Amino acid sequence: MEVPVKSMEPQPKPKPKIKPDNRKSVNWTPWVFITPHLLIFSVFFLVPIIYGIYISFTSWDLIGKADFVGLANYKEILFQKDSSFYTQFHNGFKNTFIFVILSVPGCIIVPLLLASALNAKPRFHKFFQSIFYMPTLFSISAVVIIWTLMFNVNQGPINNFLGESILWTSTQPYAWAAIVILTVWWCIGGNMIIYQAALNGVPRDLYEAASIDGANAVQKFFKITLPSIRGPILYTVVITTIAQFNVYGQPLMLTGGGPADSTRVLLMDIQQNAFGSGQPIAGIASAMAIILGLCIMVVTFIQFLLLRNKE
Amino acid sequence: MRKLGLLFMAMILVATLSACSSNSSGSSSGSSKEIVFWNPFTGPDGKNMKKMVDEYNKTDPEYKIKNISLKEGDMYTKIQTVVNSGENIPDLMIVHAERIKQYVDNEMLTSYDDYLSDYPEIKEENYMPEAWKIGDLDGSRYSVPLDIHSFVMYYNKDLVEKYAPGALDDNIITFDEIEAAGEKSQQDKITSLGVTWVKPNFLSLYAQNGGKLTENGIDPTIDNDQAKASFQKWIDLYESGVTNKDGEDPAQLFLQEKLIFYPEGIWMNNNLKDAKFEYGLTNAPQLTDDKSKMVNWSSSHQFVMFNSKDRSDEKSKGVVAFIDWIRDNSLEWAKAGQNPASLKILDDPEYQKMAQSFLLKDPEVQASLKIFDYKYNGYVSEELDAKGLDIIFGKIPVDKGLADIQKTLEDKIAKDASNK
Repeated sequence: MEVPVKSMEPQPKPKPKIKPDNRKSVNWTPWVFITPHLLIFSVFFLVPIIYGIYISFTSWDLIGKADFVGLANYKEILFQKDSSFYTQFHNGFKNTFIFVILSVPGCIIVPLLLASALNAKPRFHKFFQSIFYMPTLFSISAVVIIWTLMFNVNQGPINNFLGESILWTSTQPYAWAAIVILTVWWCIGGNMIIYQAALNGVPRDLYEAASIDGANAVQKFFKITLPSIRGPILYTVVITTIAQFNVYGQPLMLTGGGPADSTRVLLMDIQQNAFGSGQPIAGIASAMAIILGLCIMVVTFIQFLLLRNKE
Repeated sequence: MRKLGLLFMAMILVATLSACSSNSSGSSSGSSKEIVFWNPFTGPDGKNMKKMVDEYNKTDPEYKIKNISLKEGDMYTKIQTVVNSGENIPDLMIVHAERIKQYVDNEMLTSYDDYLSDYPEIKEENYMPEAWKIGDLDGSRYSVPLDIHSFVMYYNKDLVEKYAPGALDDNIITFDEIEAAGEKSQQDKITSLGVTWVKPNFLSLYAQNGGKLTENGIDPTIDNDQAKASFQKWIDLYESGVTNKDGEDPAQLFLQEKLIFYPEGIWMNNNLKDAKFEYGLTNAPQLTDDKSKMVNWSSSHQFVMFNSKDRSDEKSKGVVAFIDWIRDNSLEWAKAGQNPASLKILDDPEYQKMAQSFLLKDPEVQASLKIFDYKYNGYVSEELDAKGLDIIFGKIPVDKGLADIQKTLEDKIAKDASNK
């Protein structure tokens, strides 16, 4: 029966005289760790976003005074059919969506297949891994220059190989095909590395057991591999979708938004309105950007729901 | 150990904070004896400008020049931000002629009026008139020109000899001559005319047709018969196979000796110097060979001072001293392929031999250089760049294209509060 004695012992410990009031002392340690990030996050992210939202409610040329106009910018780009900004926004938004729908599957499936292939550890797999990863390291300008040469009508290797004279960058549907091919090639590396890491973590004995049960490679891929790396796939789908919504450099430099504005994406309009060669129209540009941002959030949310519910 | 970690984190925090507050852009006009000079010369011409600045600094002026070359797009974005914040405004900056009206309307520029009295040579008679008049607004002088750069035409001498003999006797190539040459050269798979940058090509022809970008200085006038006729000319040339095909690169064709006429800017001359054949430089394509009706699209780099509370009167005088020195020493700029706006250059024998000098030597040709200084030129450029090629290559009907451009211009201009 020693327990009660022990529990009695701490009693004399409280010394109210050292802490005169009952206020809880604040533990500063986590704050010290989090502050640098919080500070940078606020200065470079939170403040600009709030400022951007404010600008979207104004009419402003970035020079004079910003006139508050309420929801007029949103009304104009969303509903006012006779405005060029309405046309700009709807065309740009449609094209951005088309691009996301066309490119995201490629940016997921191609790296996944390559990662699975490398995971089988064939000969020279390290070498191929480097080759596949390399495009990701290039800047978009370099990538577009490479592919402009590849898609060249007369001298391009692609047309030579096909024996055709397709105008890849200035006729549809080839312009979209060119942009999507370029994009998939460019972003293979990032996702592939994530899948490789995930595949390494899938226990080998699952495959062995499946082999004993007579499963073939395809069955193993769909029944073991895919479910085992669902987390990383969800992550890459979300990240890739967000990234592709922000498409800008590829159409800007490869097709210039053509032919007839059919590859002109929303960010090109936003950039031109806010920082083009003419007087800035920052309110409209901000409103377009905010709607694009909201849309990315909604789509991401839906993706989360869909992929989670499968569990 | 924990205390050590806290100390470490605190140090990082302090470092972050101080990095945020310190002036890291390096373009402060605070330092007293230095003129911060922004310019958009990041290409090969940047070296020429740097050389000129170095030469000037060697003359031991009271205020030395600090040369900062920025990418054009970044420079124009950045200047808005710094003018807004009132900090780090450059003392001197080069901007394109077409932007000046807008900056003046927004009360962003400082006039040179109070500082020119000590430099009597900075006057109208000493500068190329078309470039000089840009800076004269509301009775004040807001800019001084550095150069006037034109969009002209390169030609392959052998091919001209073969397909358009005699066409260059008057140094004017008409569209008819180009077409006639194209009809002959097509059989040999030689292209007559390159479809290059649509904006200057179109605007040169539009002005020849009597078109204007605006009648009253504000409202755009581009959906009209003159514009239609101008585009139609290029469409016809394309459809009859006189121009290169869609997707072909005229620069490549020209270098491979498969193109006779290659319209481009005089600033491209340095890029063509490696060509393995003889080429010449002449006026942009014209409708007639009447010299007095000729138009060559041009623009101009101009020295301006954005309003800044940090720039003292003394420093502003230092700025003008530099501009006056440039007026006197602009041969280096001509070496970049440009035509200096200071007419003193015409006395220089070395300049006289340069290919681009034909535009300044003859007063009648000089009069053909036209700067499209419409306040909303920036919007016009964007629209022509976005739709021009599609119109010529038949992907947008010309009527629809022009109507769309007109509508977009009107909607964008309606947003500008500086008119009201």
